[in-house]
Amino acid sequence: MELANLYQSINLIIPEIVLSIALIVLVIADLIFHTNKKIIPFIAGTGILVTAIFVINQFNYIGFAFSTATHTARSFGMLAVDSFGVFFKLIVIVSSFIIVLLSLASDEIQKTTDRIGEYYALIYGMILGMFFMITATDLILIYLSLELLSLSSYVLAGFTKLRDRNSEASLKYLLYGAVSSGLMLFGISLVYGLTGSTNLYIINTLIQNPHINLFTLSFATILIFAGIGYKISSAPFHFWTPDVYEGAPITITAFLSVASKAAGFALLIRFVKTVFVSYETNEGFWSLIEVFDWQSILVVISILTMTLGNFSALWQNNLKRMLAYSSIAHAGYMLLGLVVLSNQGLIAILIYFMIYLLMNLGAFLVVMLIANKINSEEIDDYNGLGFTSPLLSVSLAIFLISLTGLPPTAGFIGKLYLFIALVDAKMIAVAIIALLNSVVSLYYYVRVLKHMYLVKATASTPSIIPSTSNAILLLVLVVPVLIFGVYFQPLVEFAKDCIVILGI
Amino acid sequence: MLSIPIEYYLILSAFMFIVGVTGVLIRRNAIVVFMCIELMLNAANLSLVAFSSYHGNPVGQIFVFFVMTVAAAEATVGLAIIIAIFRNKLTVNVDEINIFKW
Amino acid sequence: MVMLTEFGKILIFIILAIVFVVITLFLNKLIRPNRPTYEKKKVYECGENPEGSPWVKFNIRFYVVALIFLIFDVEVVLLFPWALTYKEFGVYGFVVGIIFLLILALGMAYEWRKGDLEWARPEPKPPILDDLLNSNKSEERKK
Repeated sequence: MELANLYQSINLIIPEIVLSIALIVLVIADLIFHTNKKIIPFIAGTGILVTAIFVINQFNYIGFAFSTATHTARSFGMLAVDSFGVFFKLIVIVSSFIIVLLSLASDEIQKTTDRIGEYYALIYGMILGMFFMITATDLILIYLSLELLSLSSYVLAGFTKLRDRNSEASLKYLLYGAVSSGLMLFGISLVYGLTGSTNLYIINTLIQNPHINLFTLSFATILIFAGIGYKISSAPFHFWTPDVYEGAPITITAFLSVASKAAGFALLIRFVKTVFVSYETNEGFWSLIEVFDWQSILVVISILTMTLGNFSALWQNNLKRMLAYSSIAHAGYMLLGLVVLSNQGLIAILIYFMIYLLMNLGAFLVVMLIANKINSEEIDDYNGLGFTSPLLSVSLAIFLISLTGLPPTAGFIGKLYLFIALVDAKMIAVAIIALLNSVVSLYYYVRVLKHMYLVKATASTPSIIPSTSNAILLLVLVVPVLIFGVYFQPLVEFAKDCIVILGI
Repeated sequence: MLSIPIEYYLILSAFMFIVGVTGVLIRRNAIVVFMCIELMLNAANLSLVAFSSYHGNPVGQIFVFFVMTVAAAEATVGLAIIIAIFRNKLTVNVDEINIFKW
Repeated sequence: MVMLTEFGKILIFIILAIVFVVITLFLNKLIRPNRPTYEKKKVYECGENPEGSPWVKFNIRFYVVALIFLIFDVEVVLLFPWALTYKEFGVYGFVVGIIFLLILALGMAYEWRKGDLEWARPEPKPPILDDLLNSNKSEERKK
């Protein structure tokens, strides 16, 4: 490889390099400060902030890093740096910073003082995996980053080791994850066999060849989707989600439900767009290559995902588990944005993700603060909390209403843009099904509110007043949810700036 | 000397993959399930190497190197988790690890 | 006459080997006398009476050492291509390889410091003659 190319490439992956250095510093600090672990979270937070600066700086760059593969006199890299990737990196960075703050407030994590260095190092491993997943345009790198993310999260899911359900969550996550990554790898090997390349752009040009074996290609694509679908917990691969979300430490649950899902979506969108889309029309619709009907498959998957998620959530008594099913349902809604295969749908997904980040992390923060006190996540134990701990209950109510998608919260805006995109693509039936699903979801979200506000508080109902720092963190999440519900123009403008996916 | 046609490799690889998937679905011992997952990965490795020699480019072989290391890491994490769960429950039978219900 | 390929010859060898083993085993079964006794059916353990089940659970510390070994063992795979093309890449290749090795070494140091390489065994208790005699006497008294 020429050195000039190398330096230019290294310039493009500075955020990842900073992350790796921070990871190494974390490990070394964990070794040196053997007894005093107070400094570790600070290093972790600082590293994330520094990375954030470099990520924001990347808005100026566009291009391929590590261009090795050449085809018909054009060279394509293993990584594509574009505004779409930068957007998802920002989502990951913001949510990981909030997770670090959450970990400081979580009793569950703070009890494991002697292994706290490991905890943050593994979170860094996850972030690094997600960063590469978001930018990868080469099947080798996609597989490696997916595994880096998965391996770190398997360990984190069973991190506290205090309870049986921790290690059980870990084992289930591992088994499902290993199987789906095995399926994905086999699919990748078939795609490589068909085209002789692992670069997404070259695969795109090669599968436009009419002599391609359609059956094998469809089979391989479905196998690859198994790996990605597992990460975003979409319908046939969602079985792990409720168990892992319930069993894992709550900070990790929140992280998996936002950041890991964001990375999965970024990968899915980039994969579909670069491999199966031949060109973009002037109205911003993506024209699929006639080899694999992604559109109808995605319609079926997204409807299945949201329906299963919403209807299973109806019966849940554990709030964490209910939020797990609700996150499956939200994955279904967000897939709808991809179904329409247009820039408008992509904008809707990006808006939805920004709002989903706030409301989901907020809901998990409240659940964690309550669990710190009463050591339970059962909805029955929330009886009367609305009267004794007003701040937490009001915020939880706002987050849940936002998750339902009712005005005047931000959740409404996210859903609104999705439905507009669907209607513009003339998919009225799908839009109606999604709307009915939202109505179903109202039932289980409101049920929590019923327990908090309509059941009278008894003498044993605890009064939970969060510490000042936690209250500030809570307000930082609540206030935007309300503000973006009425003043959403900046979100839309920002999303419109971030839809550039480096194409052919 | 005649070379083996690529179909043979692919048939063997597909067979290994199917054995792996079946094993994952029907075996109940977590360690055996893990071995079956390794079998699936190795099936993919075999077809990658076969395709690599068929296309005459080294990408597939490079991929196999990475897959091997990832598989080792996965096995390590997996066995560690199985040990953790064995300490808690004194069993590695997947059916008995069932606190969570649907 | 069908030409045999190299693989065909190997196949014939495999078939011959299997047939040979099966036939000898079967002949043995026909010829040998079959008079099993209790002593004969016992598990052979150096002539001693067997104690406990042969399915011993290994000490869990073996697994930890094995896991650590597994990782470092397989990472070497990534060094082979590097070693083969070492000369072509010059200083750049050297630096990349060293960074890789340093990160591996960091992992090793981490395990060392965290005490995963310690073989923390229980303090061995040297047998004392008096205790042995006493225990023998108490057993005799019971009889």
